[in-house]
Amino acid sequence: MENVATDENWKICFSQLAPGLVLFARQWTRSAADAEDVVQEAFVKFWRRNHDIGNRGLLYATVRSVALDLLRRDSRRARREATALSDADQSVPPAFDIEDDSQRALVAGLDLLPGEQREVLVMKIWNELTFAEIAEALGISQNTAASRYRYALAALKKNLAST
Amino acid sequence: MNDFSELEDQLRKLRPAKPSSELFTRIERALADQETSPSTAGVLPRERRSRFNWLSLGLGLAATAAVVLFGFVRLQQPSKKTPSVASLSPAPVIATAQLVPAGLTQVVYHTRDEGLHFSNNSSQPMRRVRSQARETLRWRNPKTGATLRISYPREEVSLTPISGQ
Repeated sequence: MENVATDENWKICFSQLAPGLVLFARQWTRSAADAEDVVQEAFVKFWRRNHDIGNRGLLYATVRSVALDLLRRDSRRARREATALSDADQSVPPAFDIEDDSQRALVAGLDLLPGEQREVLVMKIWNELTFAEIAEALGISQNTAASRYRYALAALKKNLAST
Repeated sequence: MNDFSELEDQLRKLRPAKPSSELFTRIERALADQETSPSTAGVLPRERRSRFNWLSLGLGLAATAAVVLFGFVRLQQPSKKTPSVASLSPAPVIATAQLVPAGLTQVVYHTRDEGLHFSNNSSQPMRRVRSQARETLRWRNPKTGATLRISYPREEVSLTPISGQ
């Protein structure tokens, strides 16, 4: 991922980041198509202003902001602010290319995680962000990001053991 | 963290589904249109419009209250320090000197961190924090005990530049 940060060619940058970005966006969208719309809007917005991906935390913050905005637009006005996060928890699970039953169980376990833990896990595992970058993207401390990551793994392990 | 290393390895073997090839085409087209329609990159247009309306209203009310308060204070001072001037225009002094500023309260009842955003035509990200408050200005007539109170809502949006390293 390190060479991505200094690459000026958006196609090379985006081809490496796209699967993780779409996976990240899918946490708040109802379909893969919506997630791609979110990633498109966020990436174009980000690239026009930055022309590199040196600040990945900001890129993911932009994706998250656009996704939550889409979520709010789709909600009824009166409930919009109050239900944004709970709606996120009820969204479809992240999409993977599943090869066997053990991976299917992993994905099912991921779906059971609270949204705030799952988003940290997605950023760390499949997008290879540091805790500092995660903290910047989510507006939380690095300790909180690391804690959520550990809680997510612990909860996932527990979920897998109970199945 | 060692307890989870095996689980982390299993998770890394999971491959996210690849996005459609159309996504690349759409982004390429959007970036190519950059010069013809740069304004499409604005962030949260609906919220921004609402924000400025509230901000303008709050600032307007605050400015009005400040002018009123300043006027009372100014009109009180000449009557004590320069009686000759006061004697030239006694009517407003008599009318306003009866009320004395008695207090200003500000109750912040909601604060929300709205995360990182781009402001207009700026390449630097900003952290946006929105706070809502109610401010009340009070004046009192010490002789009669009569009070005058002005209360208004205020919404403040603070943008703090974030430096990317």
